[in-house]
Amino acid sequence: MKIVLILLQLLFFIVVAPFLSGLITKIKNRFRMRQGQSIFQPYYNLKKLFFKGEVVSETASWIFKVAPFVLLASTLTVALLVPVFIFSNPLYQMGDFLALIFIFALGRFFLALAALDTGSSFGGMGSSREMFISSLAEPALCLAVFSVFLQFGSINIYVFSRMHGVSVATLAAAVALFLVAIAETSRIPVDNQETHLELTMIHEAMILEYSGRSLALIEISAQIKQMIWFFLIAQIIFPITPLAIHSAGLFLWGLWYVARIFIIVIIVSLLEVLVAKMRLFRAVDFLGFVFVLGIIASVCAILGV
Amino acid sequence: MDGAEVISLIKKSLPDFSALLVSQDYRDEIYLKVSPQVFQATALALHKILSSPVMMLFALDERNSAGVFVINAVFVNSKEGQWIIVSMDLSQENPVFDSLAKSIHSASLFEREIWEMFGITPQGNPDLRRLNLHDEVWPKGNFPLRKDFKTMMPGDLGEYKFNRVEGGGVFEIPVGPVHAGIIGPGHFHFSVAGEPIVNLELRLGFTHRGVEKLFEGKSFFDALRLVECISGETAFAYSVAFATAAEKISGIVTLEKTAYLRGIFLELERMYNHVNDIGGIALDVGFSFPAAYAALIKEAILQLNERLTGNRYLKKVNLIGGLALDLDESKKCVLFDALKKIKNDFNELVKMLDSSVSFMDRVDTTGVLIKKTAQDLGIVGLVARASGIPTDLRKYFPGIYQEAKFKMIPAEGGDVLSRLRLRFFEFMESCRLIEEFTVKLGGSAETKVSAPAKPETSALGYVEGWRGPVLCYLKTDVHGLIARCKIVDASSHNWQGLTYAVLGNIIPDFPVCNKSFNLSYPGNDL
Repeated sequence: MKIVLILLQLLFFIVVAPFLSGLITKIKNRFRMRQGQSIFQPYYNLKKLFFKGEVVSETASWIFKVAPFVLLASTLTVALLVPVFIFSNPLYQMGDFLALIFIFALGRFFLALAALDTGSSFGGMGSSREMFISSLAEPALCLAVFSVFLQFGSINIYVFSRMHGVSVATLAAAVALFLVAIAETSRIPVDNQETHLELTMIHEAMILEYSGRSLALIEISAQIKQMIWFFLIAQIIFPITPLAIHSAGLFLWGLWYVARIFIIVIIVSLLEVLVAKMRLFRAVDFLGFVFVLGIIASVCAILGV
Repeated sequence: MDGAEVISLIKKSLPDFSALLVSQDYRDEIYLKVSPQVFQATALALHKILSSPVMMLFALDERNSAGVFVINAVFVNSKEGQWIIVSMDLSQENPVFDSLAKSIHSASLFEREIWEMFGITPQGNPDLRRLNLHDEVWPKGNFPLRKDFKTMMPGDLGEYKFNRVEGGGVFEIPVGPVHAGIIGPGHFHFSVAGEPIVNLELRLGFTHRGVEKLFEGKSFFDALRLVECISGETAFAYSVAFATAAEKISGIVTLEKTAYLRGIFLELERMYNHVNDIGGIALDVGFSFPAAYAALIKEAILQLNERLTGNRYLKKVNLIGGLALDLDESKKCVLFDALKKIKNDFNELVKMLDSSVSFMDRVDTTGVLIKKTAQDLGIVGLVARASGIPTDLRKYFPGIYQEAKFKMIPAEGGDVLSRLRLRFFEFMESCRLIEEFTVKLGGSAETKVSAPAKPETSALGYVEGWRGPVLCYLKTDVHGLIARCKIVDASSHNWQGLTYAVLGNIIPDFPVCNKSFNLSYPGNDL
């Protein structure tokens, strides 16, 4: 049973994650008065990439080949820690929020190395920028997590996702997490996934040398990572206990469960359309703001509001 | 100003100056033939007197008829609306002349071009690397614009050496010529210290198609089709520049109506390109809603073009001696209605951009090209105006523009925001001009005058395109066919400006700086 649940959860993330990306693109294009590509385009892209040949730089070492697998493995490991289904799952207990942060960091570390590995100037640029952003994002993230701990006495995702009640502290922490998630999933205003301008890229510059199957692995990892963030934020802003079936009809419960993810997707899409990308070094201000939010969340948690 | 006055002006700074020949075949062109010994001094004197950059500098191969190479330098007299062409003959045995580039920066790229195309050496020019004929594929000793060049002869290949910046923490980023998007090919060689740009060197010429050679031996009629294909988004301005030169050679005096019609289409071309650039600037900073909005406005203008002329990019509209079509009352109504809607939409777009803090933060103080640098480099057109230099051929050669009370407001600042604001302003001004021109458009049915091309005659055609001046020098051979056609786009002056505007900016801001210049690759590479 355990094994089935674990596999089911993995499958759920792998299958649904591209859909969320496609949905964001569709919503964005609709805002921009365009028809846009199909919601299922990310699936077609993945299929195309999986069956394509690969070009590998002559100077690349084993790191370049291994990095996509490390990235996917680390992302899927994190996916197992996030409570998704209504049933309890022993694996939820295995890691807490800090584990999540650092397992993600493992994947990013390998990707940054791989980008340097090819010897292309864009890879180096992308790596240095990605590390610059994440060195600012991680402290802010840790502080937000700290405030969650102060409130719930645990940073285990499963434990606090069962907690009820929204307070100032949880809201501030959730907003902080949301802003970090934007930086982590390389979206406007920190990064721009859609751009073709190689000089402005951050995440895209790192993976510029990848093609074919490796690129498919990296793309699906990014999509899963984004989905993980959405589920975590939804869990904090709109807490919903996995065992809440008794209090409401199953249908209403399911509707709300899905709707809160959509709300986050729509907010992300709107932000992408209505805001210009920041200057690279403005990211310091942006993530500094997130850090302050984390402090506010912690103080509020101590004060109990 | 006539020839004698020009000479007396030059004599103030060069007491013992004398010209071999002074002629003024057209009201707006003064032609001075000087000896090679005083060419450099004359050019420098005119450069200072007129405070004009070298607008054109090019060679002609006249070894068959006169046994010489001819070098022409073109300056503009902005006060009286005249072109002053200084010319000299070089012996075919030893084609060498004293470089102007040491004193006038705007001559340096032209000299490199003369060297690679004709094998004429500008003595003293410190940089004689190839521009368009890349060393890696084009063997040494081939000079394609010489008349006796038939096919490329094998020879030694070379390698292009970029300027190097050395020091701790400085590294180089080569970008292009193939870019991640569908844009023109150009190689950008950055030297950076961290993110800030220390040096940028451009290498262009990847879209070199040998256009100037293709013109040789063509009739005006055939060449008009070719000139429209040089740079697609400036097709109409190119064709007007070419046609005015051809008309001068043929002795055609065009109808007043022709000037108005050309004015209307030139401004339409300016409008769709300006709004396209505004959208491009927004898109390059990831601001996608206004970018999509600008794309809608551009499409509306292109559709208007099609309804008026049958062609979205205004090709095949212009002819030598007139236009291929007329605007009747129903088309005028279409034009007015469309302009009204376009203006409303455009105001919305401006409001959207002006009120966005995140957008303004990106464009304000980014990519500053200061006035002094712009003057020294001989920057022209919109970019020059954004840096505070009041230069516009529509002002220099007023004609219909004066009657329509054309306003030129040079912006200040020279940053991306200034160039953006200038586009806002020029777009609205173009709208107004089109309305004025349309009202004044006469009702006469005649649209075209024609006459055959005179043999062995030369003339300069010019027009202010949306980027800046488009100049076209034409010379005919004994049969009245084209012997030499030299075209200079504003881009060939302004690419240098970009390399200075980006200094000190961070690498991720380069695309938006580049877009705010939006220079042409094909117009530069020819």
